[in-house]
Amino acid sequence: MDLSGRFGARSGDGVPFREATALESLHLGGGGEEFRQMVPPENAGGFTALLELPPTQAVELLHSSSSSASQATTLHSLGTLSFPSNPLLMERASRFSVIATENQQNGNVSGETTTTSSVPSNEHIKTEPAETETCDQAAVEKQSNRCGKRKELDKKVKSSTKKKSKSSEENEKLPYVHVRARRGQATDSHSLAERARREKINARMKLLQELVPGCDKIQGTALVLDEIINHVQSLQRQVEMLSMRLASVNPRIDFNLDTILASENGSLMDGSFSGATMQLAWPLQVMETEQSYHHRQLQQPPSQQWPFDGLNQPVWGREENQDHGNDHNNLMVGSASLHPNQVKMEL
Amino acid sequence: MQPTSSMKEEFLKKWQMGLQIYRPLIDNTSVSERRKAIKLSADVAMASLRKGTTCWSRALIQKTATEDNFLVRQMLSGIKAETLINKKLPKVMCHRKIVRRSKMILRRRQSRSAIEEVAAKARKLIKKKTQGLRNVVPGGEFMSNDVLLIQETLDYIVSLQTQVNVMRSIVDAAEAGSER
Repeated sequence: MDLSGRFGARSGDGVPFREATALESLHLGGGGEEFRQMVPPENAGGFTALLELPPTQAVELLHSSSSSASQATTLHSLGTLSFPSNPLLMERASRFSVIATENQQNGNVSGETTTTSSVPSNEHIKTEPAETETCDQAAVEKQSNRCGKRKELDKKVKSSTKKKSKSSEENEKLPYVHVRARRGQATDSHSLAERARREKINARMKLLQELVPGCDKIQGTALVLDEIINHVQSLQRQVEMLSMRLASVNPRIDFNLDTILASENGSLMDGSFSGATMQLAWPLQVMETEQSYHHRQLQQPPSQQWPFDGLNQPVWGREENQDHGNDHNNLMVGSASLHPNQVKMEL
Repeated sequence: MQPTSSMKEEFLKKWQMGLQIYRPLIDNTSVSERRKAIKLSADVAMASLRKGTTCWSRALIQKTATEDNFLVRQMLSGIKAETLINKKLPKVMCHRKIVRRSKMILRRRQSRSAIEEVAAKARKLIKKKTQGLRNVVPGGEFMSNDVLLIQETLDYIVSLQTQVNVMRSIVDAAEAGSER
């Protein structure tokens, strides 16, 4: 799923998130920043799956900007159900909701969802308001109590934060861990902590399986880990190959291209490059080799203010057809300046 | 999950900033020199996107700092550079032979049932794989628990994917341009 939106960005770009659903009614209006709603599935099981998310949300919150962290405290006071506009987060939320609903249909994970829902409720991620979460969790638990599918021990074990703050990436400390033990399972704190830990690991392994292509079909942790290792190694090898290719293409091309493309912003990164950009890019490097100082001064600040204007596309087309010689250096400088404008027009 | 466009943008900007540092040394004539420059700046750019929050990013920065300290200092701004470069991560090291021997002794004393044996073998296998994962992910040896390891792997894979996408698009652009 490729979500639009910016990772950790706070700009109101107005791109609608596909997963805004029922929880919109709970949105009481945020502070200075915009927040999008998380994917709130309709059924309770889905929401517990959402609650299952927070272990992974810890990763996201680490990466969200500090402003979101400061916002979190205001969020608590406001009591708004808002979530950081992290496409990463929502991606995982949607994924988990899908997984949870699937699991619920299988009917074997209801206990798990409650345990994991209780666990995340205490690994409390900053941007999740406590009120809505706990009241929803209470609703979930009521529902789970009513449905006679599982027999649970009504024993809530409170363990200290030590066990929960095992994983160092979670930096919030909450006093209690409410864990519900299933029937026939040991309820001493050790095995509960062990179980919570295992479920955390399983949750993250699920995410990994989604990330790595072709891992969903594989059964068993060992093979999945194998695939993950292979994937990481192949990615690393690809980076090496690409840097080799880039280095061998042209002595100057890497520097120039980056300068040019940096001024294009994200629009260029999203899709494939249009052919025109290539044509526009190449003469600039040629010029660089011939007029290194002149051009370097032009390009020195990365976010370039291209001062020239006036050249239009036909002129540019003519230029590239000609031999890229020294004659048209000035013209090329001017036409190079048109490059960002033109590309923006095209894109 | 795919890397987002803003991540790619940021990576590109930082990478370009790193490459600009190499710009004065524009007469790196050997391909290997240039390749190293490209790869190192790309790695540091990728790791700096995380701003030191993840273990792998810190380890990666430290690794590149051993190869090119100057680049790392220039690319990272301010205090962070010092702390990241000089900080030594706690190493979880165990002498594997000793551990193995003591485990064998323990195992001899335990009673073995068929189920237990299978489970033990499965656990051993998984441990081997996690060890392999630790070898691949930068800074993996420092991650003491599996939860952290998997989380870091997740993040690392996403960042690698970003890096590969951006680099590939640039390389394609460059090669398409050079064909003309």
